[in-house]
Amino acid sequence: MDFSQIFNIAQLANALALASLLTILASGLALIFGLRDVMNFAHGALFMIGAYLGYTISGMFNFWAALAIVPALLALLGVAFEYALVRPLRRRSPMDVALVTYGLALILSQVVIKIWGTAPLSVAEPPSLSGSINLFGQPYPAYRIFLIGVGFGACAALAAWLKYTRSGMHVRAVSQSPMVARIMGVNTDRLGLLVVCMGTGFAGFAGVLAGPYLSVDPALGASILINCLIVVVIGGLGSVGGTIAAAVVYGLIQVLGSMLSPTLAVMAPYLLLFFVLLWRPQGFGRGRVA
Amino acid sequence: MDAVQGLATDASMTPSAARAGYPDLLKRGVVVAALIVIGLFAPTVIRNTYYLGLMGDAVVLGIAAVSIGFLAHQCGLMMFGAAAFTGGATYLYAIALTRFGWNVMAAAAFTLLASTLLSALIGALIVRARPLPFAMLTLALAQMLRSVVMITDFRPVTGGDDGLALSFAGAFFGLPQAQLSRPDGFWPVAWLALCGVMLLAWAVGRSRAGRVLRAIRANEERMRFSGFNTYAPRVLAFSLAGFIAAVSGLLTGLHTAFASPELLDFTTGGNALVSTLVGGVGMVSGPVLGALLFVIAQDQFGANGNLELLTGLGVVLVIVAFPEGAMGFIRNSVARFGGRGAQAQRGGDHAAR
Repeated sequence: MDFSQIFNIAQLANALALASLLTILASGLALIFGLRDVMNFAHGALFMIGAYLGYTISGMFNFWAALAIVPALLALLGVAFEYALVRPLRRRSPMDVALVTYGLALILSQVVIKIWGTAPLSVAEPPSLSGSINLFGQPYPAYRIFLIGVGFGACAALAAWLKYTRSGMHVRAVSQSPMVARIMGVNTDRLGLLVVCMGTGFAGFAGVLAGPYLSVDPALGASILINCLIVVVIGGLGSVGGTIAAAVVYGLIQVLGSMLSPTLAVMAPYLLLFFVLLWRPQGFGRGRVA
Repeated sequence: MDAVQGLATDASMTPSAARAGYPDLLKRGVVVAALIVIGLFAPTVIRNTYYLGLMGDAVVLGIAAVSIGFLAHQCGLMMFGAAAFTGGATYLYAIALTRFGWNVMAAAAFTLLASTLLSALIGALIVRARPLPFAMLTLALAQMLRSVVMITDFRPVTGGDDGLALSFAGAFFGLPQAQLSRPDGFWPVAWLALCGVMLLAWAVGRSRAGRVLRAIRANEERMRFSGFNTYAPRVLAFSLAGFIAAVSGLLTGLHTAFASPELLDFTTGGNALVSTLVGGVGMVSGPVLGALLFVIAQDQFGANGNLELLTGLGVVLVIVAFPEGAMGFIRNSVARFGGRGAQAQRGGDHAAR
């Protein structure tokens, strides 16, 4: 195997494109877990709904409108999620709530099939991004470059919000120790609502972004959910910085594995999870050990 | 705190309780034995092979659910990827039968032994994890096995996405394959396995080991300070759960004579998990009731073509409405309205809790 094959720029960019999607989704998942102790198994279904809504709204207006409207719609769904499920069930064990979200995922994916059918749909990328860009001598689809940029841009914005604003500090405080944060006068309910909306909104955002990159079909949610869960656990539950790092490592390992040995690539994410959790149970970040 | 005190009072109470309890225990033993024997005659009552088949499915699912419920109740650990242990056992059985060319008894014994040893090994690595990472680890294990059996390099061993079709010439405890694949031939095996597994889980829960496990679940640090080994009992409990799950997987292999990658799907483990929580983990019989309800519901929901939608709705409603599961709900209702009979019932169930 020669050197250039391992360091194939296009492959690396593919890894980053996948990682950027995973990062957006997983950071939403990590936020919701950090604030609400809910391992949201419906996150994959929300992502899928985002992709389908993106398909419909891009058809009605255009892609950019979808990119603005869909996250807002999903944030509204997040309000319903918070008031209908998270608050009434807060005294129940996290496992019960996780199973309820699993049931919710089954319902949502069936609703999607009822509305849009089971046939895979394809979303055209916006005309300004339909060409390809010369990337170190290789042509590479411009849309994927955009995807990488926007995905990591969104995560950088999220990280900046968490690090440099007062509400972000409160979010970090609650993720670390809900009780102490409440004693210090943080309104955890208001913050929780905000964060759940952000998490679901991010899922919708990722869904719209995924439309032109992956094909939109009902299996979309389930296939990415497990990867997301693994990323969140590796990153450290409730730690957004750790999650971003874990998503990138995950994407890189996936792609390196697929170039070196396909057998290894299939097992790599799970082995990564095992090794990380055995070596450092709290994950990459400084989250809580839940 | 509670648990440790409970341990102390339990220990001090044991001699007197045992003395008072012998006739009671004998009576209960007779009732249980009678129930087991009566259960064997289910095929003569349920003539319809379709419904008997459903009962068989419920038993297989119920055994997997008992395994999850046992671990959840005794250790506070939820196995999200029970499919790894049930489906893994089916594959071990299939591989022993088709690739090693062993006879069915040897393959079955190998399956149970190897699954238990493997669970002990895996348990030794992961029981220290906190509940949520533990759930994710088992889920990842199931997903990994799912991917491994699909790898083309392993196709000669695992059959890839075609799965493995099984056939054996001999007999499993005197039952030839043709008999086992029929619902009425399969029933006695499944029923006896279920009874055995439930008695095992109940007995372990009642034993000193069970009390130590529940005390560790309540406060691991305190138990360690009190001089208990908090690691070995949990590995033991995990191995036992793995063994019980393997029984379920083995039964699947015996009955359907087929090992397919779907057995390792997240949804397969999800079904068992849903059954466990629907039934309630507080008692050994809870998961079994949950599995029965689940199988009946699947049958009803499948009839009008909205299987997954209604399953999702059912899961949400049941878990929201019944915090302790169906069995917990029944027990609480009986305790509220039943008076003295319920008191005795509660006393009996307490050990399994």
